[in-house]
Amino acid sequence: MAKQYDFLFRLLMLGDSGVGKTCMLRRFTESDFDTTHISTIGIDFKMKTLEVDGTKVRVQIWDTAGQERYQTITKQYYRRAQGVIFVYDVTDKLSFKHIAKWVSDVDEYTTQKMETILVGNKCDDSLRREVSKNQGTKLAGSYGMEFFETSASKNINISESFERLTELVLQAHKRDVDNLLGSLDSYLDKADLEEDKESTVPHLPQRSCAC
Amino acid sequence: SERLEVRVEVARQREMKWIDMFCHWDKWVKHRFQKVKLRCRKGIPSSLRARAWQLLSNSEELLRDNPGKFEELEREQGEAKWLDIIEKDLHRQFPFHEMFAARGGHGQQDLYRILKAYTIYRPDEGYCQAQAPVAAVLLMHMPAEQAFWCLVQICEKYLPGYYSAGLEAIQLDGEIFFSVLRRTCPMAYRHLKKFKIDPILYMTEWFMCIFSRTLPWSCVLRVWDMFFCEGVKIVFRVGLVLLKQMLGSVDKLRELQGMYETMERLRNISPDTIREDILVQEVSAYGGRVHKACFCFYLETRVISHFILLWLILLSSLPLSVSTLSDVLLSRSSLSQ
Repeated sequence: MAKQYDFLFRLLMLGDSGVGKTCMLRRFTESDFDTTHISTIGIDFKMKTLEVDGTKVRVQIWDTAGQERYQTITKQYYRRAQGVIFVYDVTDKLSFKHIAKWVSDVDEYTTQKMETILVGNKCDDSLRREVSKNQGTKLAGSYGMEFFETSASKNINISESFERLTELVLQAHKRDVDNLLGSLDSYLDKADLEEDKESTVPHLPQRSCAC
Repeated sequence: SERLEVRVEVARQREMKWIDMFCHWDKWVKHRFQKVKLRCRKGIPSSLRARAWQLLSNSEELLRDNPGKFEELEREQGEAKWLDIIEKDLHRQFPFHEMFAARGGHGQQDLYRILKAYTIYRPDEGYCQAQAPVAAVLLMHMPAEQAFWCLVQICEKYLPGYYSAGLEAIQLDGEIFFSVLRRTCPMAYRHLKKFKIDPILYMTEWFMCIFSRTLPWSCVLRVWDMFFCEGVKIVFRVGLVLLKQMLGSVDKLRELQGMYETMERLRNISPDTIREDILVQEVSAYGGRVHKACFCFYLETRVISHFILLWLILLSSLPLSVSTLSDVLLSRSSLSQ
């Protein structure tokens, strides 16, 4: 069977308990919002295939329990991700304050380069809002991240934020491949020079099959 | 209607037997525990379940020995960092159960009371999100004060360390569970290994919530009946039975050709694939096998002693101290008697 996609990326959702990570994910993967839901215990993931710039990308999105003590479990999966969505709740100041901790934890537990975005969820709830859009933009700016205000219940900016992160990961991946190809080119150039000195270069097939 | 009459008669007899046991509880537990165990496996009559759970867990005694303690705990203020998370979780437990459906309804209020009381009772442990569904199941059966002491017993005697800050015990039990699986159902083991599905990905919720979010309700109650009588080994066995049922044959694995498909299956067990009587029967039949496998794991780790402990700690990057690890291993080595 032919592969249904060109790339597979792993994204991670991080943020305090109750900010709406699971609801965002459900809205995105199942186009659905349920006012009755249960807290996430442990870690879970969902998949979705997207089309970005004509490329079929399959994303595996890891949804994590927000309570601090679950981090001993969830942090083991940080390293597998290429992108992170940091989520806070615009009606909960504390969850906004904790973004700094989530960001520094990701720095601490990962070694790879990651694409990240910041999301303030529940933006439809203007009566209970405690964090302004401006504050969110500013914080995202200080980390060099892009910023979205979303609402899983009203379906605002949900697919936009997931798709944007996927796009960023795809671009970063292409850059990496280009760099790799670039260094491969220079390696091959160097190999050509070497070849002038030595007569055989067995690991370059196009040269060795001169029969 | 004749069959119905027979069923009613059987149920009535069963109730009478349990009431008789209640009257001489200490004697039954001391001298005829096997019989008590068998009766728990048959299912505790629902009218007597609450009392039976409290007797089996010894929480009734705890309540008797600590009169007024719960009220005392309730009067304390509690720490904001726990209360904050507890409040966010109140409407996220069994949202379809009439007791917990209404925001601020009596079910949610009682849930708040006992979870808060626990953080004051054990400030070093605080609150763990998986305690909420467990407490909710208890509240469906008994008043808040009784449910509180029953929760205390589950957290301290049945599943020590499961809800503690580092979540060490649950991660270790995940490893033990996986090693037991290798011996009891190699096919499921190989499949999970092939797709790199760590035990922690599927068993965290199963074990921490004692299957209350996993199984059809009638099964949950039967599992809890056995669990209160026999302890954590029931949790292990139910997990093994489920994996065997879902991943134990070539046919079943054919549809699960990937990590995602497998995880979906394990995280959303379709209720019509699980039959109460078969589940109980298979759990009962596991008997010595789990014990043996756990004991092997225990021996393996103990013989090579501290080196392998350290290696385990480093490898799994668990923030474990050697002493906690040995404690948990010791308690698991007696999983089955």
